[in-house]
Amino acid sequence: MPRRGTILPVFIGAGFLAGALSFASDLHPLIPSEPPTASEQNLAVVVNLSNPIENLSMAELRNLFLGERSHWPNGRRITLVMMEPGQPERAAVLSLICQMSESDFKNHFLHGLFTGEVFVSPKTLATPVGVRKFVFNVPGAIGYLRATDVDASVKVIRVDERLPEEKGYKLHIPPRPSK
Amino acid sequence: MRRQTKYSLRRKTIGSVPLIDPVLGLIARYSSTLLLLVVFLIVTTVGIFVMRDLHTTNVEAQKMYVGSVLGLRRIGELQYEAQETRRATFYALTTDDSNLQIEYADQSREADRLVNEGIIEYLRQARTPHEIEMASRLQDDWSEYLKVRNEVLASILEGSTREAVDLDLAGGVQSFDRVRQDLEEIKRLYDEQASQRLANVVATSRRFAIRLIAVLAFTLIFASASVWAIQRSKMLAAIQLANLQMEFVASVSHELRTPLAVISSAADNIVDGLVSGKEELQRYGSVIRNQSRQITELVDQILLFASTQDRRSRYVLRPLQISQVIDSVLDNTSELLQGAGFVVERQIEASLPCVLGDLSALSQCLRNLIVNAVKYSGESRWIGIRALLADSEDRASREIQITVQDRGIGIDRLEMSHIFEPFYRSAAVIAAQIHGAGLGLSLAKNIAEAMGGKLSVVSELALGSAFTLHLPIMEEQELKMTAASFDSTPLIQI
Repeated sequence: MPRRGTILPVFIGAGFLAGALSFASDLHPLIPSEPPTASEQNLAVVVNLSNPIENLSMAELRNLFLGERSHWPNGRRITLVMMEPGQPERAAVLSLICQMSESDFKNHFLHGLFTGEVFVSPKTLATPVGVRKFVFNVPGAIGYLRATDVDASVKVIRVDERLPEEKGYKLHIPPRPSK
Repeated sequence: MRRQTKYSLRRKTIGSVPLIDPVLGLIARYSSTLLLLVVFLIVTTVGIFVMRDLHTTNVEAQKMYVGSVLGLRRIGELQYEAQETRRATFYALTTDDSNLQIEYADQSREADRLVNEGIIEYLRQARTPHEIEMASRLQDDWSEYLKVRNEVLASILEGSTREAVDLDLAGGVQSFDRVRQDLEEIKRLYDEQASQRLANVVATSRRFAIRLIAVLAFTLIFASASVWAIQRSKMLAAIQLANLQMEFVASVSHELRTPLAVISSAADNIVDGLVSGKEELQRYGSVIRNQSRQITELVDQILLFASTQDRRSRYVLRPLQISQVIDSVLDNTSELLQGAGFVVERQIEASLPCVLGDLSALSQCLRNLIVNAVKYSGESRWIGIRALLADSEDRASREIQITVQDRGIGIDRLEMSHIFEPFYRSAAVIAAQIHGAGLGLSLAKNIAEAMGGKLSVVSELALGSAFTLHLPIMEEQELKMTAASFDSTPLIQI
């Protein structure tokens, strides 16, 4: 039976190791944290090609999608693009980024616009193609698309330093509902 | 038998056209086919020129169409698409629906893509410095407008309609006006080019029409002249033939009448009892016999000529010794020659090779030449007969040349080309009342050619003439074969 004086450093060492591994897995894309299942797809956050922004944290994303920021660092007005309610991409954004239900999200904007706490009212588009074209046309636009719907007309930004194809990316959506 | 100017006869018969009739005579003598060939060549050449002009006009018209009409159409399309770019942007202003706004933005961008393509195409086809400058200016102005348009579209999509209108008023209107002016300027440029090219086509067409009319007129005149010339030449030939025939009939009648008159007169004297004594009767008989022979000879000549003309004459060819033929002819004409007091100088090379010929025809040929020499010797009473072996004219072979020479009146150089024509007798001969039918030389020439040879003449006026019969000799081998053939089949007919 080990002595009491030797067990404590072992626990402390194991705790450090676990913490380090956990930190490394968050930072390094090669160390998976929660890989998407076969039925899931990554959700890409996209901006206009002229937008210099490269990376946003989840917190910054939340602020943006809740309309709590009005301008980009380059002075361009922010235009928020959402897909219509019922779309899995929108549901994923609401749950993963805004951490709200559909009704909470609507109430947030109604209340915020009334009180002046919210500066941007989201534009609602019916299709991913519409979202992509909108972001392409508006320099201050930010929206989201399935990674498979992205093309060269828009720019994908990193979320917490990770691109959708990298391990450890946090925004996943379920597959499109079958029609 | 010599020369009478047949053209003088013709001139008496129909109205003569100086300078033209000699040419027509040449045409009549040779062939009107040559004239038709010339007409054909001229018409073909003219046709080629007309085709070339047509091609040039066609190419000009095509250039005008491609360069101006298509160019104007392109500019029209550019104007339309530019308006469409702006119009679709304004349509986006009319709705709050982001989906519709995106659709209008798409339409605007599609139209602007077509405008860009049109400008690039125009730049590619620009040739003059002015065109290149215009294309570059349009490209720059269009890019300026697109920058404003993009801002306007962004503002519309962001929902800032007011800002979009302000942006357009501040920059869009001016920049689009510049684009419109550029397009108008290019259109004006195209209009100018089209007008210039149209003027070119009109000028080319006018030139072509004038040239075509001139060419057609020339061709028509030339063709008419050709037809007239051909008709006239044929008519002249027919008249000439008729004249010659009439002259021949008159000449033959005269030739027949003279001996007939002598015979008739002698017969009258005998019947009237004016002839007494045996000697006188013999003298009259001799006169009648000689005149009868003269008539017979004349008739023979005519028949012989007729048979050579209808190409039905048949010659029996056999190896002949020329010396024997000459001696035979001299024997036959000795009465004539001695009667007229002629001295005959005979030079025949020894051992002359044989020739292949018809004895009777060759004798007739030589006889005609000797009789001619007698007729046209004038006061001279000398005839030379020479036979020798010599090179042919082209020196390719050997031939026997038999020359019958006189020191008589000679032949005018201008008439040399006519003396072998049938019935031809010169005016000087007729005036000198030298009798003949104009057939002797023609017959001699035909016979010479039928024997594979030819008849040539050298003559000087007032110095005399020398007619030479050229006959090809037989090679030894040929001679043996012909002799063998002659033994088995006595006649060789051609």
